[in-house]
Amino acid sequence: MLISLNWLQRYVDLSGLSPEKIADDLTLTTAETEGIHPFGEALAQILVAKVIDCGPHPEADKLSVTKVDAGTGELLQIVCGAPNVAKGQTVPVILPGRRLPDGTKIKKGKLRGQVSHGMICSERELGLSDEHKGILVLDTDLAPGSPLTEAIPVRDVLIEIDNKSINHRPDLWGHYGFARELSAIYGRPLADPLLGRSLDLPQEGETLALSIDVPSEACPRYIGAIAHKIRIQSAPDWMRYLLIAVGQRPINNIVDLTNFLMLDLGQPMHAFDLHAIRGQRISVRFAKEGETMKTLDGEERVLEPSDLLICDAEGPVALAGIMGGENSMVSGDTQSLFLESANFHPATVRRSSARLGLRTDSSARFEKSLDPSLAEEAAKKFLSLLPEVSPGAILAGPLQDPSAWTYEPKRVHLRTERASRILGIQLEESKVRSILEPLGFELTKEDEKSFIVGIPSWRATKDIGIEEDLIEEIGRSYRYDNIPEKAPLRRVQAPYRDPELWTLRKIRHILAEDCAMNEVYNYSFLGDELCERLGLTDLPYAEVTNAIASHYTRLRRDLLPGLFGSMALNLGPQDQVALFECGKGYRPDQAGETRVDPETGQTRSLPQEVHQVVGLIASRKDKGAYSLLRGRLEHLLTRLGRPQFSSKLLQEAPPWMHPGRSASLHPPGDPDAPAFGSIGELHPRILQNLDLDLGEDQAAAFCLDLRSLLAVPEQPLSYRPVPKYPEQPVDLAFLAPEGLQVATLTKLLKEANPKLVQGVRLFEVYRGKGLPEGKKSLNFTVTLCSPKRTLEAKDEERYINRVRDLARELGAELRG
Amino acid sequence: MSSLAELQARALKEIREAADLEGLKRVEQVYLGKKGELRQQLGQLSSLPKEERPAFGKAVNDCKLAISEALEERERELQAAELTARLSGEGFDPTEPGQPFETGTLHPISQITEELVDVFQGLGFSWLDGPEVEFEYYNFDALGIPGDHPARESHDTFWLKDGNVLRTHTSPVQIRAMERFGAPLSVIVPGRCFRNETVDASHEHTFYQMEGLMVGRDISVSHLVYTMKTCLREILKRDIEIRLRPGYFPFVEPGFELDVNCPFCGGIGSPDCKNCKVCKQSGWIEMLPCGMVHPDVLRSGGLDPEEWTGFAFGLGLQRLVMVRYGVNDIRDFTGGDLRFLRQFTRV
Ligand SMILES: [Zn+2]
Repeated sequence: MLISLNWLQRYVDLSGLSPEKIADDLTLTTAETEGIHPFGEALAQILVAKVIDCGPHPEADKLSVTKVDAGTGELLQIVCGAPNVAKGQTVPVILPGRRLPDGTKIKKGKLRGQVSHGMICSERELGLSDEHKGILVLDTDLAPGSPLTEAIPVRDVLIEIDNKSINHRPDLWGHYGFARELSAIYGRPLADPLLGRSLDLPQEGETLALSIDVPSEACPRYIGAIAHKIRIQSAPDWMRYLLIAVGQRPINNIVDLTNFLMLDLGQPMHAFDLHAIRGQRISVRFAKEGETMKTLDGEERVLEPSDLLICDAEGPVALAGIMGGENSMVSGDTQSLFLESANFHPATVRRSSARLGLRTDSSARFEKSLDPSLAEEAAKKFLSLLPEVSPGAILAGPLQDPSAWTYEPKRVHLRTERASRILGIQLEESKVRSILEPLGFELTKEDEKSFIVGIPSWRATKDIGIEEDLIEEIGRSYRYDNIPEKAPLRRVQAPYRDPELWTLRKIRHILAEDCAMNEVYNYSFLGDELCERLGLTDLPYAEVTNAIASHYTRLRRDLLPGLFGSMALNLGPQDQVALFECGKGYRPDQAGETRVDPETGQTRSLPQEVHQVVGLIASRKDKGAYSLLRGRLEHLLTRLGRPQFSSKLLQEAPPWMHPGRSASLHPPGDPDAPAFGSIGELHPRILQNLDLDLGEDQAAAFCLDLRSLLAVPEQPLSYRPVPKYPEQPVDLAFLAPEGLQVATLTKLLKEANPKLVQGVRLFEVYRGKGLPEGKKSLNFTVTLCSPKRTLEAKDEERYINRVRDLARELGAELRG
Repeated sequence: MSSLAELQARALKEIREAADLEGLKRVEQVYLGKKGELRQQLGQLSSLPKEERPAFGKAVNDCKLAISEALEERERELQAAELTARLSGEGFDPTEPGQPFETGTLHPISQITEELVDVFQGLGFSWLDGPEVEFEYYNFDALGIPGDHPARESHDTFWLKDGNVLRTHTSPVQIRAMERFGAPLSVIVPGRCFRNETVDASHEHTFYQMEGLMVGRDISVSHLVYTMKTCLREILKRDIEIRLRPGYFPFVEPGFELDVNCPFCGGIGSPDCKNCKVCKQSGWIEMLPCGMVHPDVLRSGGLDPEEWTGFAFGLGLQRLVMVRYGVNDIRDFTGGDLRFLRQFTRV
């Protein structure tokens, strides 16, 4: 919203204050300002000039050739097409090389053979109105060559207000509200809204049958009045100039007057052509099912029973608070009018205007919960200005105000000590008083420590209702930037550490820093396309009803599908990717938190949110993805204090995991306990569906369920003294049948001599060439060491022989 | 005797001429080795008359001593020369980079979250989390945003079929934290939030926010100013000015917008401010909304507003990263394009 300093100046003296200062002070105490815009600079480029001579154009009937004194020291010849140009007039002239307010550059030209040194301007060309029938004739004694802005005081400075910052302040949707704020900020007096005009309202006379046929909440107030002998013409200059400056195009005196009052006091009003009102009656009612009306923008509107209407005896004449009807609008022929100044329910106006896609300056204001008192104030101001705006106009009857609305000031208890405590400053009673009274609050002392504060009507609709609201008033006027900073004094206490969050943080670092994997974030939504490609459509999902894009309705159950999307994205530019993600999956089929609504007794429950850590490795060139990933996962578990775990072939593998080449992870020694995670190669079909040309063992993924992982007890870090005697590494190679698991052989190698074996490490698995069908080669390094002596060759020999015998029992052959 | 003198002269010459330590070793072998020339000379001792023997023995010894000394001296010379040669640094290019190795990266939102968590942990705040699918009650009603409140419209909420919502802010955890821990209380809640917005370079339907809440017996605006200043100074890594101005949010009263002096031009009064496009010459950039916890919100959390007061704030994490690194497209944060993510090499 633009506010004009000239406009504000009518109500509060702003002399000696720069626009920058005013804008800053408003930002810090009232509303966010977004810029300062000088207005009318372009009109200073245009000069006041005298028409010295005026004669017909020799070649064209409709053109005149004039000689003009624009104070340049010589008479200028200007060709003019306006019918009203005449010798002796004072007119606005623009010289070649200068620009009109709309940016058009004027050039020296020739019209039908006659040179023209510029242009004499109409109001429309000057951006002052739509008037273009003739040139603007000035009524001024200014010397030729004076800037036009001396004759027309249109120069102004506008401050742009961020509308969002006044959404909660219905009193700030007109200039008067800002004038009130500035009067309080600078301690300067505030003029009354009528600027001392008197208003003689007839006590009786002509009225309409006026009824409010809706609950008072829907239409708290409806004021009407009738005026005759209206002449539709231009509004007075001063009013038009103010409207132009804030970007409101002047239309005619009556429309301009309603617009002026909307921008002045913030009250939208509507003027009907009285003769278009059928049956001498106006009623406020809700629309009937299927009812239609044509609004004054020419659109046929289909209404619903929630739309509030203004109707005459036969049907709708306006959409209440949003827009008038085409059938009853003021036109050039209007001679009598019915003025409406009303107050409508904010949510009703908001819903109708949103549904109809019809947001107007009027609806925007009613949505903010306007003060019903304002309707009366604005009606009075309208009627007091009417004789000036439309000379000869007659008020035909009294103000009709059937709602009998009165404002009984809301009272709020305010404790100075409470205000001091919340703001963190020491306030005196006198300070509280001197801040609140200029803003219109009425303070009565209740006792030693507190006031009873009467809230003015313009702050009472939704803005101010509790003590804290008043403390905000005090704080903003005191200025928050005057409040000193202070360190809170608190008892020293170790902050609560959430085990899941802090473990997750550790996991992120291990995977990124140790494991050289890259963390990605994917949406919580599972796109339809990915879902279909991965064959996951049959699972139960939490679904969004109003998805931003129709293909994002499902919430992910698992993180891996999203990570596959990241893999597919990156496997083009990169040959190999190692990715991980930490986040939540949503499981509507698993009971989460439940809540009973105390009012309705209804029970709702949230989907279970599972915290997952997922990772994957994929390579377009090399095999071995599974082993690379498993090594990282083992490292991660070791770092997390759980180096020991048991694993077995994954049962009921999710559709993206290879059913024969995946493992589930369980607590150590308990492979039948619930799994805390899984790792495996990706299902070939998934890779194919993702258009990824990856073969066996070129893509593998893991998934950990954080909560289950944390349920596995941490294993104590066991310290072993540094050996006193040398360690003896022994390499052992087995030719083993495929069915024999590494875990079994590892166990065997340890148990062959538990006293001497310090460590067993698998360093190579080999399959293929040179080996019989169904066999694999497993190569271990076993570290032998005795705490009592240096081992001899025969110790090693004895150990190897024992291993050979044990292995043979399992069908494995120790080679070499 | 003359042959002994001649042998010594020959040996000393060869020692002088030895080009390196290896050559010197060979010379040593030739003269002082087990089968060296000096040994052979000594072998003649038995064939000499008895009286000549002591003299001859001494001569041989002197000869050996002289050669040994010469060897040592030459060895020192050669070692010194070798060290000098090794220190010459020939063929060394100080700009030649090292061998790269595989590294990983943390997502920039994780990084900024950790930084914030560390700063606030230091100030005694606990790091909390809350559900991302939230009851309408916690997301709206408990925060003073009932069904017909206009603020609901600006929240562009994703509604689920089960009647729940995707949380539109991290603020519901204010209520959850008060319910769970009571007061006094200091918590931060970084997390994922959702608004039903059309995605473009500066809008996302998925965004990251950090809620902060401190409740105590006498928490005031001045404590809010101190805490925000301390935190932002750490995060922005510079001495900062802040200012509070009125701002409206349903769950705080009074509510503020907090501005920081512009990091790009330095703020009002700096010579660059007149041309600064970031702060539009105002000298300030909007950093975060904050305020004193609304008494109704304290009540929703089970606390008596007469006994307890508090402040709360919300910080947009993507915006913080974008301001810090000049990221100009918010969409880059999601989907995992490594060409974007690998640039955030700090941890
Ligand atoms: Zn700047």
